[in-house]
Amino acid sequence: MSEAKSLRVFMTGVGGQGTLTATKLLAQAVLSQGLPVTAGEIHGMAQRGGVVESTLCLGVLSPRIGFGEADVLLGFEPIETLRALPYLKAGGIILSSDEFIAPMAVALGREQGPDLQEIKAKASACAGTVRFFSIRSMGKSCGAVQSGNIALLGALCASGLLPFGPEVLEATIRATMKPKVAEGNVKALTLGVEAFQTQ
Amino acid sequence: MGHPLLADAPGRIELLLGNEAIVRGALEAGVQVVTCYPGTPSSEVPDTFFRLSPEGDFSFEYSTNEKVAFEVAAGATLAGAMTLVTMKHVGLNVAADPLMTLAYLGAPGGLVVLSADDPGCHSSQNEQDNRAYARLAGIPCFEPSTAQEAKDMTRAALLFSREHGLPVMLRTTTRVNHLRGPVTFGPFMPKTKPAGVPKDPRHFVPVPVFARPMHLDLMAKMARARTQVETSPFNKEYGSGPHGVLAVGINRSYLADALAESGLEAEFSVLELGFSFPLPEERLTAFMRGKKSLLVLEELEPILETEVRALAQKAGLSLLIQGKDLACLPRHGEYSGRMVTEALYAALGRTAPTPVHCAGTEGLPVRPPNLCAGCPHRAAYFAVRQVYGDEATYSSDIGCYTLGLLPPLRMADFLVCMGSSVSAGCGASRAAGQKVVAFIGDSTFFHSGMTGLANAVYNRHDILLVILDNKTTAMTGHQPHPGVEKTALGDNPARIDIEAVVKALGVTQFRKVNPLNLKATTKALEELKGMSGVRVLLTEEPCPLFARRVMAVKKPMTAYIPDPCDDCGQCLDTLACPAFSKKDGRVEIDELSCSGCMFCLQVCDRIKARKRSA
Ligand code: SF4
Ligand code: SF4
Repeated sequence: MSEAKSLRVFMTGVGGQGTLTATKLLAQAVLSQGLPVTAGEIHGMAQRGGVVESTLCLGVLSPRIGFGEADVLLGFEPIETLRALPYLKAGGIILSSDEFIAPMAVALGREQGPDLQEIKAKASACAGTVRFFSIRSMGKSCGAVQSGNIALLGALCASGLLPFGPEVLEATIRATMKPKVAEGNVKALTLGVEAFQTQ
Repeated sequence: MGHPLLADAPGRIELLLGNEAIVRGALEAGVQVVTCYPGTPSSEVPDTFFRLSPEGDFSFEYSTNEKVAFEVAAGATLAGAMTLVTMKHVGLNVAADPLMTLAYLGAPGGLVVLSADDPGCHSSQNEQDNRAYARLAGIPCFEPSTAQEAKDMTRAALLFSREHGLPVMLRTTTRVNHLRGPVTFGPFMPKTKPAGVPKDPRHFVPVPVFARPMHLDLMAKMARARTQVETSPFNKEYGSGPHGVLAVGINRSYLADALAESGLEAEFSVLELGFSFPLPEERLTAFMRGKKSLLVLEELEPILETEVRALAQKAGLSLLIQGKDLACLPRHGEYSGRMVTEALYAALGRTAPTPVHCAGTEGLPVRPPNLCAGCPHRAAYFAVRQVYGDEATYSSDIGCYTLGLLPPLRMADFLVCMGSSVSAGCGASRAAGQKVVAFIGDSTFFHSGMTGLANAVYNRHDILLVILDNKTTAMTGHQPHPGVEKTALGDNPARIDIEAVVKALGVTQFRKVNPLNLKATTKALEELKGMSGVRVLLTEEPCPLFARRVMAVKKPMTAYIPDPCDDCGQCLDTLACPAFSKKDGRVEIDELSCSGCMFCLQVCDRIKARKRSA
């Protein structure tokens, strides 16, 4: 199982968003294709609104991604996309949410966060491809905000970067989730695929 | 359908978390008794066993602390059961006493202790290197680096332990506990019924006259273990370059990737140690012989490095050995692929090319961990701050409530370790006459707060201890403890009442409140403040996440601010529930985030309650 081309995906989001569920699902999809996969997570006190970073690596052993090593940056929240930019290799690909989840200090009006324009400009300045999607809205329209993460995975599948297409992820969703939950997530997946193709 | 981890399906491949792989490995070896005290990054091991326990053929318990967990495990292995005991690295400090002496007594049924270390302090108060404990106790040590190895080594460690009658350490690090990878299942080993502890005090009661030969016995067992480590399949060599690299744990993965991606493979020969202690001295010496240099890759302390330096000296080898003296290999924190790449170049006297990456952005708003919306700890802290302000010194402990350290609550001035709130608080109060308020959670109280409280009463200290009872072990993932009413698997049939324990320990100045009732809490605090000696305030209210998920509690109301309020921001400045926000000068409450605790209504009368809209 070790001859596949290496691919490193760095994922980042906010606790409670479902970042880890998305990571696990993607890893399961890779494994279902018989490809070598390692995923990394750091569980801590994430339930309390901290940053959650995770990784998915194909064709390498280490689950860690250092600065300049990620081929793809999946940002489930735009400030976190900006924070994680150094992990991306120059010319890499960014797929990100454009809907903010305000950090406490911003929510309390004590600090000001970056705006979307700044984030997009900084992302475009160093990445090869940059795409932003309103994944939380997509998720909501499918029944759960968290499904927005699956929409972003849909965009990733549609990008052609993975050694498989959205149908493999769909099969994994159906195989691992309860039918009702799976339905919403498959819908979100399709929305993500379409959004990538039409943007 | 049973749980996939219980499937008798050799050859099946499953995607597992490192910690789940450890569970599978133990099941394959035929584990019979599992004990633990939960703690990140080890917690998914016991939590998985807990979930499997109704179906599985093993005994499982959440013990009250690591020492107790280790002792229950010790008795079990002496009685002939194959036993696993799990904890985080600092937990092994608590269990160090039984560890040291069980090494003398031995582990007839087999015993593996999982020590989940945390280089980088992802979720710990220190980053101690517990490989030192394997050396101190004189027991073998395995260090996996992938999910497959986590499974294979747990299995092998248990079988090795039983075969040699030696306790064995399985030492992981956060990256390994929390990685996911494919794991190919093996077969289940047959189990033998434990025969019970034999009547053989010469071997099992370490009075001095018996302890001395036991120590010799331990050394003889380790010598036999060493011969097996020399040829262990978990220790592998690859490459045929002139420079040597010795790597353990997750560094083996960093190394393999770094070699493949840097194109330096031809320069190096690698020796990986998966079964890392006792040292395979002959193999290491043979590996070093003829090499131009040796690079040692190990996180934290230079343990192996020091040992191979001694070996080289013994064998009269003069090769250059490098490790922690390289600037790119620090003695603190984690290693990474990048650090290993730099070290490889440094070993060749070259400089690694700098990777090109996107620039970072300074000064982004951070997301510090915070007490959840509706957390009863916030309410209790709010009341304490109202009554004591900055007049008291706040002695904290380990749990979600440590987060009370953040402003505006600022309810933690010092913290040493699990259970220290009361005892260290006593010390501070006696030494400098400070007014001390100590905070401890329910699980931590049972872990090691009770002994401190007994000491406080006996030695007539002057302290107010607030026991924040949220009916679960919240921080590590809602595990049960002796005081809980409910667990994820149902009611707790043998509940121990904290109030009764406190009173039985001789505390007479006692109050109990629901912290979500501000008036009652403040009143109790004021009364206690007027007294001296040992005083206890017990605050009882379940963690809202636990209440929702496990106790099926529904809170139908949410807080809102009917406009116009005067936007003074008092609620933000003093309570700072994360459901609050300020947009364009207006204070708002986010209905989705609000858990409906109704505490803020008592803080500001402009805040009102209404039915949740969805
Ligand atoms: S998990 Fe529970 S106890 Fe911990 S901060 Fe959240 S509400 Fe409070
Ligand atoms: S009722 Fe008030 S304090 Fe409680 S969770 Fe809602 S907003 Fe926060």
